[in-house]
Amino acid sequence: MSAFRSREPFTDAVESTVLPRLIRLSGGVYAAAFQLMKLMPAQFVLRRALEQGQLTEETTVIETTSGTYGLGLAMVCRRLGLPLILVGDPAIEIHLRRRLEALGARVSIVSGQATRSGGIQQARLDRVARLRARHPRSFTPGQYDNPMHINAYGRVAELISESFRRLDALVCPVGSGSSSTGIAGFLRLLWPELVLIGVDTPGSVLFGAPNGRRRLRGLGNGLLPKVLDHSLFDEVHWVPAGDAFEMTRRLHAEHTLYMGPTSGASYHVAQWWARRNPGATVLAVMPDEGHRYQRTVYHDGWLRREGLADVEVGPEPLEIAHPGDLQDVWSRYPWRRRTRREVVEAVEAR
Amino acid sequence: MGTEVTVRVSEETPTWTVDPPWKTKALRAAQATAEILDMKAAGGTVTVRSNIPTGFGMGSSTCDVIATIRAVLNACDRRLPTSRIARIAVQAERAADPLMFDRMLLFAHREGLIIEDFRVRMPQIKVVGFAARPDPVDTLTFAPPRYSLWEIESFRALRGLLRRGAIEGDVEALGRVATASARLNQRFLPIEHFPRLLQIMEDSRAAGIQVAHSGSVAGLVFDAADPDLARKTELALRGLFRLGISQTWQFSTEGDDERVPEP
Repeated sequence: MSAFRSREPFTDAVESTVLPRLIRLSGGVYAAAFQLMKLMPAQFVLRRALEQGQLTEETTVIETTSGTYGLGLAMVCRRLGLPLILVGDPAIEIHLRRRLEALGARVSIVSGQATRSGGIQQARLDRVARLRARHPRSFTPGQYDNPMHINAYGRVAELISESFRRLDALVCPVGSGSSSTGIAGFLRLLWPELVLIGVDTPGSVLFGAPNGRRRLRGLGNGLLPKVLDHSLFDEVHWVPAGDAFEMTRRLHAEHTLYMGPTSGASYHVAQWWARRNPGATVLAVMPDEGHRYQRTVYHDGWLRREGLADVEVGPEPLEIAHPGDLQDVWSRYPWRRRTRREVVEAVEAR
Repeated sequence: MGTEVTVRVSEETPTWTVDPPWKTKALRAAQATAEILDMKAAGGTVTVRSNIPTGFGMGSSTCDVIATIRAVLNACDRRLPTSRIARIAVQAERAADPLMFDRMLLFAHREGLIIEDFRVRMPQIKVVGFAARPDPVDTLTFAPPRYSLWEIESFRALRGLLRRGAIEGDVEALGRVATASARLNQRFLPIEHFPRLLQIMEDSRAAGIQVAHSGSVAGLVFDAADPDLARKTELALRGLFRLGISQTWQFSTEGDDERVPEP
């Protein structure tokens, strides 16, 4: 591949979709806008598994997900001709389910009954175990446990390092932790001083805050994924659903960028950081587009019913002394590249 | 420093000899070139005169080999494309530096293949070189690094900035890539004082540090066009001296940002 290559058509729709667009929004604020970020690890992990012989055309891919990672897997499996079973819960969005099934995936829903004994997550894992026993030749990508998902983001790091003369900060919404751990880990080889800001949401346990109901799906986690490397983060923000939805709407109304709510949360934190650091360059990772949220985030009636209409977004986050103190307001904690254990032990010492 | 090779071709005996006799890579290069020129009946003498120290990662054996190939071609009044010369060099020494090319490119040194051709000459870079380890390293007995999957994917990030640095002649960017590559190589051929060298790099505001990945030389690199160059190199020399490194080599790349035409 030469640096002076003329442009050519994409050879595949997945390939055409996989990389983000880097967009300057205003001043030093940039977006890395993905159509479907999870396509990237899905493509990478399945390709590597094929190369390493863990996966053949007779292998069934089995994964538990009700979200965009399932859609990524379904797209890649269809193109590679691999059978796919996705284990989801009854809350799976109907349009997403139709799309998965149109792509040839089997969607296995864990019923309400099965969830009563040990919670929905456990019920889904039990279902995966049963399916794997029934399909002796199966492969489970394991988006929360398999470190190969981190390696998938080398291509994004390449796009960023080629496009920016200088990058001061990276803002990443954190769910599984693979994109933040991946992109920042690679970029720090070149820019060790790069500031990594994690965006989480109240109710998520990722960065030591109390477990609770999360109204903003796709952000945060009720469990601790193995792929997340806490020691890369300089600071963490928790953005509540209302603030994220409002900023998602503004991102569309002001910049015409039609993205999902985790992108709004990312935009919110990047804007704040840019205000505090004039002249610096900050890149906000934006994981998916807005079409899936037409009936929710982009619907005034729905926002009113949820009590999330016309949210006043404050100019500053609440500075908290410890993640354990988190309330349902936009908050910031200086993580300072520590492990989760170091931070959690700091509270026990108080 | 440089290498000079004299070749005398004889049509009478199909044997090749080299002086000094331990320059066997040059001998193999002469044989391989003659074979490719379809001169199997020919032999000759190869005389190598070089003042490049061996085993430091300064490309001494590649210089011997390329000079030999070019001398054989001259003697026979023949020409070969540079990419062909690269493959002969790899055949002769199993791992070659891309010194046969006149421009920036990414080169698979054990395959002799161009991975990415930036098609630009290197910008003007000032190098303060030194020996980062006491003993020479033999490229061929040194096992090639077994990179982890993470390390292999991390090369993408390095290539992104390398591309930008090459095309824009941005020495600061190229220095960052060199430093990142040096960091990755610490797992395979560690330099004892590496953290202190990084400190000297920061203190002297060098663009980066470059290390031989199978050799013992290293160098702090600077933008030769920097108006503050003299002060920066002076700071670097002082830092190295404090670390016990008093022997240094200073040199600059020729510097030419003109696009070179297609080969």
